[in-house]
Amino acid sequence: MTTHSRTTTYFRQPPGRGPGSGLFHPALFYRSDQEYLDAVGRFLRVAVRGRGDHALVAVPGRRLEPLRGLFEGVRGGEGDDPAGRITWVDMEEAGRNPGRILSLFREFADRHENSESRPAIVGEPLWVGRGTAETREALRHEALVNLAFAGRRVSVLCPYDTALPEHVLTQARRIHPVVTEDGRRRISHEYADPLDVCGSFDTPLPEPSDPLVIAFGEHELALARGTAEDWASSCGLSPARRTDWLLAIGEATGNSVRHGGGQGTLRMWRTGDSLIAEIRDGGRLTDPLVGRRRPDPRSPHGGRGVWIMHQLCDLVEIRAEAGSLVLRLHMTLD
Amino acid sequence: MAMTSMSAVPAPLSPGPCGHASVVYSDDREWAGHLVPFVRAGLERGEQVQYFADTTDPDRVMGALASAGLDPARAAAEGRLVVTTAARTYLSGPAFDPDMMMGLWHQAMDTALAEGHRGLRAIGEVTWGARDIPGADRLLEYELRLHHEVFEPLPLTAWCFYDSRRMPADRLAVLVGAHLTHLGGPVADPPLRLAPLPGRTGLRLAGSAGYDTRHAVRAAAAVVSGSPGGDVELDLSALRHLDVSSLAALAEAARRRGQGRLRLLRPPEPLRRLLGLFPELGACVEIAGT
Repeated sequence: MTTHSRTTTYFRQPPGRGPGSGLFHPALFYRSDQEYLDAVGRFLRVAVRGRGDHALVAVPGRRLEPLRGLFEGVRGGEGDDPAGRITWVDMEEAGRNPGRILSLFREFADRHENSESRPAIVGEPLWVGRGTAETREALRHEALVNLAFAGRRVSVLCPYDTALPEHVLTQARRIHPVVTEDGRRRISHEYADPLDVCGSFDTPLPEPSDPLVIAFGEHELALARGTAEDWASSCGLSPARRTDWLLAIGEATGNSVRHGGGQGTLRMWRTGDSLIAEIRDGGRLTDPLVGRRRPDPRSPHGGRGVWIMHQLCDLVEIRAEAGSLVLRLHMTLD
Repeated sequence: MAMTSMSAVPAPLSPGPCGHASVVYSDDREWAGHLVPFVRAGLERGEQVQYFADTTDPDRVMGALASAGLDPARAAAEGRLVVTTAARTYLSGPAFDPDMMMGLWHQAMDTALAEGHRGLRAIGEVTWGARDIPGADRLLEYELRLHHEVFEPLPLTAWCFYDSRRMPADRLAVLVGAHLTHLGGPVADPPLRLAPLPGRTGLRLAGSAGYDTRHAVRAAAAVVSGSPGGDVELDLSALRHLDVSSLAALAEAARRRGQGRLRLLRPPEPLRRLLGLFPELGACVEIAGT
């Protein structure tokens, strides 16, 4: 099977590199469970059995078992994975916050990519019933795959249930250079610049009613942390989640003082089943991939704080507005 | 204010379990109120008394003692009283150096005993810690290490004089917090308090560590990497929060430590969570207690 290398020659080849040396990032629009199993199974067999590569499968939990069945069902049989080259991950857990998926993908790709090997990833961060904000950030993640793996020998297959809202499928056609739709693979003519696509997700965030507001500079950081902890406790956030909440807010407010002009404003409020902390400062976002690669914990640069926030929160929204940077950290009340 | 300071002055007739205390004053009367009984007690006990002035003119020290009915001139002539300045003594080098200071204290004690004194007590004005002099950023590290490296092995009594008019309140709070005994004006609790661990090499951290407390954390890291001896301990049972920078600084200090390990006692949940995200930070660290 050489479908992958053939297709990748059509777009975005870094100069000087031969066919098959770039990112292969197709979308799979599936209409049934069987179509899903057939197409994803074929993609994985090509990678694992055909090329002998490693694969990462990050899909919603209920999709994992049927897929695993294809590869672990009969030892030595068709589709078997005797070498254990496939890593299985429940996307509903690992990708609960879509902002942490890319870091997982990059760690996997960095470990397995080399001149002989093209690691394969199945990433399905969108499912029917996913919330509006999460869907938007999951699509942003999808667009950022194009930037993060530009020119890399990596294959990322993204399944989309055709029962998803039409606007999601429209975005998927803008994000993926190749789309398999109605069982046919084609070049997507709607494919657009990933930064433009990301820009379309920078929608204004809803204004809260009656938030708790704390303006802070360096000398108020401890007060901000203490207030955030007490407030979350009074809202009933469990001790374990409170630890995450406090760590995320501690990194965010510290970043405001360190990188964001020396001061900021912390606002906290509750919506339905979530606590939200917003940190606004005078910082700028220059790298759209910030916080989406596991950082060196010893370096204060390279998005360490944002990466931690992504790991600990259920959703992170970042917006650059006129002269200011806004982070919203969401924590679900369990 | 005056009441607080006067009532907090004990008559130091016998050195306590630890002779290292911070003394905070905000005017000359409070200053003299601490100075006079301390010197009188020392002279009465046959100890040598040394005063290392910073912003105070040494003549004013002598004058205050004379006004109180002591005979400082005679004590000075007999070598029982030494009034000098930090600039002429331990700050005369290129930079303030805690490692060198530890040796100086042991030397001073040996000298005092060899000259026939029954002990040594000292006052040091450390208001220079708020000025931009080389090594001033190591004052906190010094205060923290003194307890274990100097005061536990030596029968020394020393008071660190802090003039609250000449030091920002937040810096004062952290430095005073590094003493197990505090006299004089009340000082607010700092966001992160570091204090020596009695009887062991190490520190107790209390409060919340973040970007705002990075200087204190740097001092704690310096204690971890620079303290002589085997293992070093950090009691974290009263630490509520710390950020990844603080943990990274302590982990790096543990890595640089030549001998022994860094043992973290009863670390808070945030630290465990960060170690979960960054296991590499736990490479040179031992966790003890739940």
